[in-house]
Amino acid sequence: MEPHYNESRQLTFHGEGAKLFGIYIVNILLTLVTLGLYYPWAKAAMLKYLYEESELEGSRFTFHGTGKEMFIGFIKAIGIFLGIYCILLLAILSKNVTIMSLGLLVFYGALLVLIPIAIHGALRYRTSRSSWRGIHFGYRGDRKEFVNMFIVGSLISIFTLGIYSFWFIIELRKYIFKNLRFGSLTFSYEGDGKAFFWLNVKGYFLSLITLGIYSFWYFKDLFAYYVDNIRMYQGEQQLVFRSTATAGGYFRLIAGNLLIILLTLGLGTPWAIVRAIRFVFSNMIIDGPLDVNAISQTEEDYTDATGEDLADMIDIGLV
Amino acid sequence: MRNFSVRYHDGRLSVAHDAMLTLMPDHWLIHYVDPSEELLSVRWEIAPIVTDESFTGLFIFRYGDFPQQTIECRETELPVALKERYPEKVFFRKKVTGIFRQSNATIIGLAVLLIALLAAAYWFLLPVAAEAVAATIPRSVEAKLGDAMYGSMITGYEVDEEMTTRANAFVKAIDFKTAYPIRITVVKEDDVNAFALPGGNIIVFDKIVTSMKTKEEFAALLAHEVAHVHYRHSLRNIFRNLGGLLFISLLLNDINGIVTVLADNSNMLANLTYSRALETEADQKAMAVLQSDGISLKGFVDLFNLLKGAHGDAGSLKLLSTHPLTEERLDLAKAKAREQVGIKDQSELQRRWEEIVIAGKK
Repeated sequence: MEPHYNESRQLTFHGEGAKLFGIYIVNILLTLVTLGLYYPWAKAAMLKYLYEESELEGSRFTFHGTGKEMFIGFIKAIGIFLGIYCILLLAILSKNVTIMSLGLLVFYGALLVLIPIAIHGALRYRTSRSSWRGIHFGYRGDRKEFVNMFIVGSLISIFTLGIYSFWFIIELRKYIFKNLRFGSLTFSYEGDGKAFFWLNVKGYFLSLITLGIYSFWYFKDLFAYYVDNIRMYQGEQQLVFRSTATAGGYFRLIAGNLLIILLTLGLGTPWAIVRAIRFVFSNMIIDGPLDVNAISQTEEDYTDATGEDLADMIDIGLV
Repeated sequence: MRNFSVRYHDGRLSVAHDAMLTLMPDHWLIHYVDPSEELLSVRWEIAPIVTDESFTGLFIFRYGDFPQQTIECRETELPVALKERYPEKVFFRKKVTGIFRQSNATIIGLAVLLIALLAAAYWFLLPVAAEAVAATIPRSVEAKLGDAMYGSMITGYEVDEEMTTRANAFVKAIDFKTAYPIRITVVKEDDVNAFALPGGNIIVFDKIVTSMKTKEEFAALLAHEVAHVHYRHSLRNIFRNLGGLLFISLLLNDINGIVTVLADNSNMLANLTYSRALETEADQKAMAVLQSDGISLKGFVDLFNLLKGAHGDAGSLKLLSTHPLTEERLDLAKAKAREQVGIKDQSELQRRWEEIVIAGKK
């Protein structure tokens, strides 16, 4: 039985493609002119705008990160990457098979360690720099624990030819949500590896059989599995997240965004972003009693953006 | 004294207090009614107040150490009032990101500028950069690349061994004046086509050979393709195309799939179109080669006429789509042929040509 709640909430997004376009165009021009160095400021401006247009209970969210913070992280991240690539390059230039394979091992090993470090750092930075009504989000995960968990999970996934990866993803989500804070609010993720695995098996094969038509239902299911398993707690009170996304809605989003981006040769990206955020916000409902005036400040300040920039370079998207 | 209605967050609890902001000469006074109906006031010194960079009509100010107190104000008169009241402090710094607040015309102007920049990069910068990269490729790498392409390409065709052997013998009789080792492969294909791979491999469709009447035509075709090899035209073209794909994929934030489909187009080389400038360059080199070998340049005229569709059916003239033929090219060939002196005896070449013709009839 679905528990029935008489209180439910939703995030609303007020952003407009045209406004975002103004920010976007300046970003691209400056990033081009500065040969990429402006990128952190560009990103900060985008995030600030998107947060400012996101509303819950009549109050907007705020992104506190600055271009300067992210620039420092950016430089560090570039340094780390240069270092790793230098090792690889030197190993290849040595033309010695042993050194070459050792270099490759170091390279992939370093990447394997870097990914969780990036995720951890990005989570800490992004959450700490996000607030609502002056109350900051936070992430309390332990880096060492997360890195260990990530490496072990990745290796098991590789050895099981990817089958374990579904359990692994759920483990990661559980860990991240367990350590996520919004002031005094806590979270959890209730997904289950087995159910997630069968969901993917079903989605994959039905998509294959229907020549991709089913993929919209598949993605809808994936989105729902993510959202529906999020719980939020205020003291003893539990709140449940619920997805209302439909395959048709997903199709409209994907087809529309693809057309927008293709027909405008990428210039329409801001409209596509706005549509995507609207889709997520309008299809995510938070059920349960919440005292919006009683969330207290609990998290500390964290301004190291290296993880955020590393994550960008490895191309890890954070929701 | 001017009052503004604001929302105040104390940084400890998520209560949004509807408050009144009073701009005092040397400080801000924020007063609000607590949920317990108690009237409270907060004092902000002017110097430490920080203005948030805002992208909407909301003005946000922060104060103190973490966790900061915040006020949000929607009243449009606030910036002016602040400027009048505290002329020594700049609350709203003009930032470059503020451009979006400008008129639509400015934004559209910027968009046009961006498109112009991108177009300029695509049409002018990219070819130059691609050529520069292509020029740095050592000949050994080019040969390897060409061999790899040849290997993957030739599996799609049926090679005519006999004609290939004869055609390579024909090539030996001409000095093409290039350091590249020229290797011809004749394949059975019902199209009038031939193309050069980087490093010296040239693939010729048998239909074009059997459509030819004279050895000079074949010599002209080969000289032309060899010139493409010699000037690294196909390598340059490949780099241009790769650069173009890369550029577009960057522009589109790499919408997966599309780019892969484009890049996977294994027929790429057969469909690469040479620019007119490259064609002219190849023609000039080819004519110079035949000239110095004492071979009649009428071969070019006949070849171009053959390509023009005078002999074959136009539908199968694939060569034209990759080697744009213009009237100028034909006229130039005619003029050069008329002026030509010093045609030598080509009985050895004739013998080898006849062998190809016989092989082609098998």
